[in-house]
Amino acid sequence: MASAQTDPPHPAVPSFAASPGDGQWTIPQKNYASTRFSDLSEINTENVKNLQVAFTFSTGVNKGQEAAPLVVGGTMYVLSPYPNILYALDLTRPGAPLKWQYNPKPASAAQGVACCDVVNRGPAFANGRLFFTTLDAHAVAVNAETGEEIWKTKLGDINRGETMTMAPLVVKDKVIVGVSGGQFGVRGWIEALDVDTGKSIWKAYSTGPDQDVKIGANFKPFYDSDKGKDLGVATWPADGWQQGGGTVWGWLSYDPDLNLVYHGTGNPGPWNPNPRPGDNKWTAGIFARDADTGEARWFYQIAPHDLHGRDGNNETILLDMEWEGKPRKVLVHPGQTGFVYVIDRVTGEVLSAKPFHALTAATGVDLETGKIQYSSDKEPVSNRVIRDICPAASGAKNWNPSAFSPRTGLLYIPHVNLCMDWGSTEPNYIAGTPYVGAEIRMFPGPGGHMGEFSAWDIREGRELWTINERFPVWSGALATAGDVVFYGTMDGWFKAVHARTGEVLWQFRTSSGIVGQPTTYRGPDGRQYVAILSGVGGWAGSIVSGDLDPRDGTAALGFVNAMRDLKNVTAKGGTLHVFKLP
Amino acid sequence: MRRAAPFLLLAVLPLAGCQGWQSALDAQGPAARTLADMFWIFLAVLGAVWGLTMIALLLSLRRRRPADADPLATNPETERRMIVTTSIAVGLTLVTVIALTGLSYAAQKVLFARKDGALTLLVTGEQWWWKITYEDSQPNRVFTTANEIHIPVGEPVLIKLEASDVIHAFWVPSLTGKMDLIPGRQNQIQIQADRPGLYRGQCAEFCGLQHAHMGLFVIAETKEEFERWRDRQVSSATPPSDSHRQRGMEIFLSKPCVMCHQVRGTDAGGKVAPDLTHVGSRRTIAAGTLETTRGNLAAWILDPHGIKPGVNMPAVKLEPDEVQPLADYLEGLK
Amino acid sequence: MCSSSLKAVAASILLTALALAACQREEREFRSKSMADETEEKVSLVPLSPGPSGPAEQRSGTAKTYEENAYQIAQGQRLYAWFNCNGCHGNGGGGSGPPLMDDMWTYGGQIEHIVQSIREGRPNGMPSFRGKVPDEQIWEIAAYVRSMGRNVPKAAAPGRRDDMSPGPAEQRRPPGQVIDGGQIPPSAQMPQ
Repeated sequence: MASAQTDPPHPAVPSFAASPGDGQWTIPQKNYASTRFSDLSEINTENVKNLQVAFTFSTGVNKGQEAAPLVVGGTMYVLSPYPNILYALDLTRPGAPLKWQYNPKPASAAQGVACCDVVNRGPAFANGRLFFTTLDAHAVAVNAETGEEIWKTKLGDINRGETMTMAPLVVKDKVIVGVSGGQFGVRGWIEALDVDTGKSIWKAYSTGPDQDVKIGANFKPFYDSDKGKDLGVATWPADGWQQGGGTVWGWLSYDPDLNLVYHGTGNPGPWNPNPRPGDNKWTAGIFARDADTGEARWFYQIAPHDLHGRDGNNETILLDMEWEGKPRKVLVHPGQTGFVYVIDRVTGEVLSAKPFHALTAATGVDLETGKIQYSSDKEPVSNRVIRDICPAASGAKNWNPSAFSPRTGLLYIPHVNLCMDWGSTEPNYIAGTPYVGAEIRMFPGPGGHMGEFSAWDIREGRELWTINERFPVWSGALATAGDVVFYGTMDGWFKAVHARTGEVLWQFRTSSGIVGQPTTYRGPDGRQYVAILSGVGGWAGSIVSGDLDPRDGTAALGFVNAMRDLKNVTAKGGTLHVFKLP
Repeated sequence: MRRAAPFLLLAVLPLAGCQGWQSALDAQGPAARTLADMFWIFLAVLGAVWGLTMIALLLSLRRRRPADADPLATNPETERRMIVTTSIAVGLTLVTVIALTGLSYAAQKVLFARKDGALTLLVTGEQWWWKITYEDSQPNRVFTTANEIHIPVGEPVLIKLEASDVIHAFWVPSLTGKMDLIPGRQNQIQIQADRPGLYRGQCAEFCGLQHAHMGLFVIAETKEEFERWRDRQVSSATPPSDSHRQRGMEIFLSKPCVMCHQVRGTDAGGKVAPDLTHVGSRRTIAAGTLETTRGNLAAWILDPHGIKPGVNMPAVKLEPDEVQPLADYLEGLK
Repeated sequence: MCSSSLKAVAASILLTALALAACQREEREFRSKSMADETEEKVSLVPLSPGPSGPAEQRSGTAKTYEENAYQIAQGQRLYAWFNCNGCHGNGGGGSGPPLMDDMWTYGGQIEHIVQSIREGRPNGMPSFRGKVPDEQIWEIAAYVRSMGRNVPKAAAPGRRDDMSPGPAEQRRPPGQVIDGGQIPPSAQMPQ
């Protein structure tokens, strides 16, 4: 009788992602469910205003710092942008001095085929080793104690535009990595390497024949449009899938109970949709793959025949929740299309898709067919300029990951508020050069602010509160058991916010804009620390990190038009800031 | 008689336009037939009008007034006759104009009527060649070729017309009238060929230096032949059959060719120049300028500006022993 | 009578002179230098040279025919988009590559330096286009790049395009200058 009155329980973190309580942060996602939630509660809503700098460390590289500082035991690991130097800091000694550093010496020419600043999203720790990728498409394993290289494997060719920027995921005895280069016509893939030797165990492409994509008898997509033979060839013009994009450069999650790895595939190549009629499978979507063999289990395409450069690589957060009275295992994906997708992670069925960004490019997602409903007047046409497409090509939210708090049941989404004008041009494929076919100018969305940090109710599909920021929010989010959430802004403020009300409780101006992922840990002294890398860059901040000229609005694939003021607000940087209570 | 001979020859010259693969008067399709009929009707009617006018003029020149008559005097008889004649002439003119306008309107309706056809093409005018994309309900049967259109006989084919740089015009006289290709806008035209054959077309809107050499061919063939041709075109390029052609392919992939041209099945994916995946199967290269032979291919690659000055294709530097393998390779891309 | 006919003669001479003055910027050759080897430019990237005089340089003199010719610059504008230069360098503002419309040049900003950069590639990401783009086209692209910063005469610089406008057309930009040395190359930012 009372069930109608009581609120349904919050979505819960699956048991496999329960915190071990050791106060460490061993992978950027924090756990396989990608919650980015720490159970440390020494810092809470009352005392966070007293937070002060504990120590700092310069990475020596003044490009976009997108990595998450990891802490294992008494050592912190920080990975810099190209040249991808891995630093180990000894937290047991005052001032956290350098323990060792490792320089993988990636090819400098790789900087020429990196679309969006020479960033790296961090290493992953497992079994006494650190695994990370380098810009010139190598995967490296390094001894976490000594910094010695254990193996380094070349996986991609920069001459074809292949680079790597993602944080690997270690699943059992495999390191899983993927390739970047969707703006260079790279045919995307995801690969699993042996943890001990670096040799390839399986590799699955994002376009092409079923055999290459590892679609076999166990592939059971939920929607009819994904059922058929060799759709990775049939939904492209003749041989178009060879330069089809679908790169895997973002976040991976893993469900050990189902033994499924969840990953996104990137935008199709080229961005201009006219040369590639068809649904362009399997780009701009989310795959569930068997972790041992790489075989695809299901797929959902968030943007079939993508029109505006949409990508499926944003994070997927695995949660258990009640949906319409039944317990479901779900995956929550705040997508580039502007919708927060709640998808059943067993079957691939979309349970809900609610917008969190102003929309003109699409009107909604039809839950019957799973298809996004595009607005026909925003579809690119040859030699014409289409105006006011929202969200912009950056997506409503890009790589920077959100965090989930099981205490509040809210998803904390750092995102943008951008729209764009789009002029189609004829794309020309030349291996190793950009393959885009569009000129873009981005500008602030409705309201005039370009960034937002929102608290999202997953069940109801609506925003509870939001903090508007002048510049896009391009940093990750961190949620803690003290009911404090952390994020950073591109003008350099690192903020602590009340998880329930959205009140900014504390902020600190770091040395440069923030595009990194905040982490928190319990130090050797038993105190709670919060770490963030400060150094503006990434695609949104490339006007500063690349010294671009603000007079050309189409530079940096359209971002410069929106970010002309960024140079007046911050300079380049590359410094780790760690905070603690006095 | 001898002095008149050259003029007689000149008179015969226009008759040469009555036949051939690029003649608007040699209609091979319903649209062209409508236009040719219109041409003849207008010619006949207006020719007759012209003839009558000339006769009237000559007659009036012959008449002379008496030398001593008063120039301003009016004769009521002749006045009345003149009024009647003039009114009849004005009336006839109006009727003729209205009739011809009506006829023209009816012809326009026929020309712009859209019949349901199975085949749709997208023709993009570039300087100075035609990019042709065959559309299909199955995306993986969509392919791009250049300068040569094959259509099945007897079926209406819808052609969407776009331009990437300046205004061009699509004109295959034996099949249809002209339609402009305007950047930023899509026009449409429907063509249909009644008989199998080879029909030559041309760009009909001045578009730059090589406007005169921007030809295209429409080949109408039976449905089976057409489907065979289309299946061939959808497939990737045949791999080189011998080491000589293999060397030609390696040369192709290491030279400036890959910056602009595409050969599907290799890493060459350039889309700003004609697609070469099946260039050997086309009758001509350089937009109808040269026949596809090894010699012409070599000549075109080595000195395009000697053939079409100002064209976008640059002269490519080749070693003497690279010319033959490259030409062989391209000719073998059937 | 005399003075007005004198005025007419003077006016026609002036008009003819003005008309002919524009001829040079539109000169074009259609028989491109086929089989041409690349021009030899012996340039230095820095003004430093030991001894009392500056660096010894030898240029082929081709610069003038490209930099002051509107046709060559317009061809360069077309090729700049065709060969995807705009994918990394935007419309001069940069992106994954550095901007080309400002006064900072990592590897030298005179047209010979730009031609060498395109031919040879540069550390930190510029690919080498030698053998992939014929030398004449490299010069055309370099001339267009120079026009981005208005380092070419205003009459030769391109006007407004029909596409979406990234900013003022090259013709309307203030005349540029190349600062010797420019910025520190990114490789110098390598820590260790």
